[in-house]
Amino acid sequence: MGVTVVGVRGHPVVVEAHIGRGLPSLTLTGLPGAPVQDARDRIRPAVESSGLEWPLRRIVVNLSPGNVRKDGPGLDLPIAVSVLAASAQVPGDRLARFAFAGELSLRGSTVSTPGVLSVAIAAARAGLEGVIVPAANVGEAALVDGLRVVGAPMLADAVGFLRGAWDPPVAVPGRPQQARHGPVDFSEVRGQAQARRALEVAAAGGHNVLMVGSPGAGKTMLARRLATILPGLSSEEAVEVTQLHSVAGLLDGAGLVASRPFRSPHHSISLPAMLGGGSGYVRPGEVSLAHHGVLFMDELTEFRRDAIEALRQPLEDGRIVVTRMAGAVEFPARFTLVAAANPCPCGYEGDPKRQCRCLPHRIQLYRQKLSGPLLDRIDIRLIVPRLSKRELLGEGAGEPSAAIRERVEEARARQRDRYASLGYPCNAQLPGPVARREARMSRGAHEVLARAVDALALTGRGFDRALKVARTIADLASADEVSADHVAEALSYRTSLSEGSLARAG
Amino acid sequence: MPGEKPTEDPGHASSGDDGSADQDRRPTRWHPGFADGRANRRALLVLTALRGITPRQLLEVADREGSASACLAAVKAGRAGSAADREVARELDPAAIEADVAACGARFAPHGSEAYPPQLENLKDPPAGLFVRGLPLPRRDRTVAVVGARNCSDLGRDLALTIGRDLAATGMCTVSGAARGIDAAAHEGSLEAGGDTVAVLGCGIDVGYPRGSRALIARIAEVGTLVSEYPPGVPPEPFRFPARNRIVAALGTALVVVEGAQGSGSMISAEHALDLGRDVFAVPGAITNPLAYVPHALIREGATLIRGVDDLMRDLKLDGGPGLPRRRLDLTLAEQATLDLVTEPVLPERVGRGLGLSVPEVLPLLVSLEMKGLVRNVGGRFEPRLDARAG
Repeated sequence: MGVTVVGVRGHPVVVEAHIGRGLPSLTLTGLPGAPVQDARDRIRPAVESSGLEWPLRRIVVNLSPGNVRKDGPGLDLPIAVSVLAASAQVPGDRLARFAFAGELSLRGSTVSTPGVLSVAIAAARAGLEGVIVPAANVGEAALVDGLRVVGAPMLADAVGFLRGAWDPPVAVPGRPQQARHGPVDFSEVRGQAQARRALEVAAAGGHNVLMVGSPGAGKTMLARRLATILPGLSSEEAVEVTQLHSVAGLLDGAGLVASRPFRSPHHSISLPAMLGGGSGYVRPGEVSLAHHGVLFMDELTEFRRDAIEALRQPLEDGRIVVTRMAGAVEFPARFTLVAAANPCPCGYEGDPKRQCRCLPHRIQLYRQKLSGPLLDRIDIRLIVPRLSKRELLGEGAGEPSAAIRERVEEARARQRDRYASLGYPCNAQLPGPVARREARMSRGAHEVLARAVDALALTGRGFDRALKVARTIADLASADEVSADHVAEALSYRTSLSEGSLARAG
Repeated sequence: MPGEKPTEDPGHASSGDDGSADQDRRPTRWHPGFADGRANRRALLVLTALRGITPRQLLEVADREGSASACLAAVKAGRAGSAADREVARELDPAAIEADVAACGARFAPHGSEAYPPQLENLKDPPAGLFVRGLPLPRRDRTVAVVGARNCSDLGRDLALTIGRDLAATGMCTVSGAARGIDAAAHEGSLEAGGDTVAVLGCGIDVGYPRGSRALIARIAEVGTLVSEYPPGVPPEPFRFPARNRIVAALGTALVVVEGAQGSGSMISAEHALDLGRDVFAVPGAITNPLAYVPHALIREGATLIRGVDDLMRDLKLDGGPGLPRRRLDLTLAEQATLDLVTEPVLPERVGRGLGLSVPEVLPLLVSLEMKGLVRNVGGRFEPRLDARAG
């Protein structure tokens, strides 16, 4: 049995081969995609290089069910094995109890194949005894409990195992994959106390963040560290993330992705790379690779407008649907968005030390590039000032990430308890009316918000955002009721880019 | 040992060669960086708890040894303080003091930190650090000290109450010692008028002493400021009250003595105030009145005689004419103190350090000022709005 992967889900595929009379040929039926068709010419040399015999007759391999399009290179191994079984070169007893996945090389060796974790999960769900996968993918397949994982370096080894002639080593889960961004920690950040605090609030409530600041202010440095203070991944979340990274072919032999991903796509990224797609086999895009982690978009204004607009669906639903001719493919994509932008085209508006050289209408145009609807989903907007030497002087090392994460986890636990019956994981996900109902504001808090509508020209949406952020600040303080001070602090994270001066609110 | 640094020569140490610091009005002999860093802060916490080493002695030890850590090492080695101190210094856990400070809602402002009130620097024996509870300390020119007898007359009591009230009404802060009598009346008058008041304690920052003032002290912790140079748990002892008086005198821009018998603490406060060059005001009485002894003695030494609260207000230029900078009455004390620190584009954490507050604590104050149109946020820094200042 083989498995094809659609999105991140594996779908079992029964592979059957028939060897009949006729000129030597190999025909694939059952909606094989282009990458599977591609395998036809690869399988014969692989079999022959393995010291096995390729039947020189007319071979038909059927992949069923016939209504699911099969994509991806993982079907090489099951096709080869089914042909060998049809020509009585391997015994049938283990065939039905194992799923096969893996790409083959012409030399007959197996090649690391994307999506093996999804294959293994599907095999376990189908009640199979085990999976036979390329040796390079053992680490991820072994994450699935109760499944026998056979890692075959060569096609010949897989055949040896089926014949009972080869005893594979016990598969061990790969070492948990550490953050690919290297060990970073908040204690390395000097100064920027307001930004540090704002990111703590963002992590505690799951809020998206916009950072506006001059080049060199430290926006990237701060964004990287947000992933280190988010609450730890639960084991289900970790498997989801690992599956996505496996399907994208990013695992590289490692096991579980144990830390929250941090993805920072370059602004020249194409739409399919951002959202998912690709010819034939649909790969998850950056929004899905950032699932349960941080998607950092530096130079937000430089991104293609359609790429920015397309973020609205994942920000809203936590998933992305890639629609293809052959049907829609869905990937999970629930991430914390951190966007960074310069305050103006030259980058120095509002900097006390350097003169901004932009014409006012250029600044206007620049800010219009940030779409309103995207900005609406960003609760925390922050100006990150470029610090002078004097301002950095005497600033000690900050608090380590672990200490901040402890507070964040407590605040998240409070939210989970409060919203258990409503089904929202955190404050940021609350729709406006629910937030207004659930916030538990003190009278003073109401007064401050009401005053802010006039004094700070707070809009209706700005009102809801401030409310949610204030709720998170109260959660960080372990307070049941939102106080006036919580609201006032929330109001300090509301700088808007789109309306004229940086100082004004939105 | 840091004690071997060239600053050891006391003759030169007073020339203040760390000219970079802005608080260099009058040189002291604390080494620059005496209490910098976590280790020194913690050492200083232990030093503040020692009984046998006065602030003046500590200053001398620091002059010789260098940093707070070095001073503590000297105490432990027996080169400073008493034998009892040595024991205590070895046994005290600074983390426990830190926990106690946090538990009673106080914070510690060591010498050299931005929250340390600069007006204390001019004392001959400035406290090495200050424990503060409640609101941040107001600037000196917004503060007037009112002191006097514990066993005061009804008339003196009424007068102190009125002074506190009238000062509050013009936005001035009253500082006193929370003692029975005149002190308590001055605090109460200020609180009654919704004003700000600072009480300097002669015991640990969490100790409600004197007992009769317990409710008053609790209330000041809520709506005013409590200050002490002693860590939590330190009991009141006779020698601590004269020491407390020097802080009262130094915090205010002027000192008013309402009543005081011969040999009372008011005389000590007034002498400190005169030494520091503060204006001293005294309310006279009948020559036969023992409670008029101190005011009369001070008037002979050059204090200004006041016949009541009107004289005081006129002399302090608080009677409506242009005079001392006034607190805006639509601002809370904390907001005013925040506004005072926003004189140029400044980061919120810097304002916070000046007030001894954390960023989450100071942001609401800044936003509140922003909503009142007094400051604005430009590029992540807060700056004053000139149009609002003028009005």
